[in-house]
Amino acid sequence: MGSLLGGCVTAVTATKAVKFPLMYQEKPLTIFVLPPINSTTAADAKEYYTTAIPQPLAFAGFYVLPMELTGEMLKGQGLYDTELIINQPLERFGEYFGADAVLFTRIKKWDKVYAVLAANLTVTIDAQLKSTKTNRVLWEYSGTIVADLSGQSNSGNPLVDLVVKAIVTGVNSATADYVPYAQLATTKLLMTVPFGKYHNRSGQDGEDKFIDQKPEPTKPVEPAKASVTAK
Amino acid sequence: MNRILSLLLLALLAGCTTPPVTYYYGNYSRTLYRSKKDNTPESLVKHRQSLENIIQTSETKGIKVPPGIYCEYAYLLAKDGKPEADRYFSLEVKTYPESERFVTFVRGQLKK
Repeated sequence: MGSLLGGCVTAVTATKAVKFPLMYQEKPLTIFVLPPINSTTAADAKEYYTTAIPQPLAFAGFYVLPMELTGEMLKGQGLYDTELIINQPLERFGEYFGADAVLFTRIKKWDKVYAVLAANLTVTIDAQLKSTKTNRVLWEYSGTIVADLSGQSNSGNPLVDLVVKAIVTGVNSATADYVPYAQLATTKLLMTVPFGKYHNRSGQDGEDKFIDQKPEPTKPVEPAKASVTAK
Repeated sequence: MNRILSLLLLALLAGCTTPPVTYYYGNYSRTLYRSKKDNTPESLVKHRQSLENIIQTSETKGIKVPPGIYCEYAYLLAKDGKPEADRYFSLEVKTYPESERFVTFVRGQLKK
């Protein structure tokens, strides 16, 4: 039985409830995602990452305010720069937009490495979810994700094959397509977040153990496993 | 006893594979990326089609349209002066009541 469960959880360091108790107290549902702060020289990292955030966050059970519109609304308020918001009180995000929490992300590394037999995308991200009611940090993450771009995995899982196919198409075209990898990075990033209301295990995942982030190559099989590991 | 144990194991394994939330996103992130990156009329049209496809497919499958999609679509319609926008803003609020404050704010901005 131990070995069976071992398939689900490979290393154990903390539980969600112990590490992020405020998530269980405040139970944020509506998330306002700010544009990522890009500390890298990769000009396209921000756009890739912006488009990759809402989906995994919604699958984790949250109501994600549409980023296309939140960006426009902020500009309408004269707020162009996430850096300027990070240390400000966040009550107005609740007042104006009905957000329970604001997600800040910083892209620290976005490196594409091509070698003869392998291609990797290394993404290092810091993320913080802050309450609009108390300004407290409800959840945070800091870590590196290495995605294998070679697309050689053959999983038999339909979801995964779709991802792989998309990637192969992308790499062959003039502008490589990293959207699935950016999404994979976000999915991994969100594996430690206590689930939101629309997840069927919302409020019941406090004992879920998770792995502290260590940089190790990740094949695109991972998105499918994301729901696996949480069990 | 063995039977119970195997049922338990089955349940555990099943728990490992059941998708916890079901949404259909189609090509959303890819068309959104292209519309931001290229910002051409074609890429914007493709993104709008992608939103239409998400709404239609989700409704056909009988699953919830993902958070924010009705609202984003409504906003595009409103910017084109299309009256159907109202219907989609209302659908967002109906599907996700927590969006009401945001939708009200967005509609207020559109009137300006």
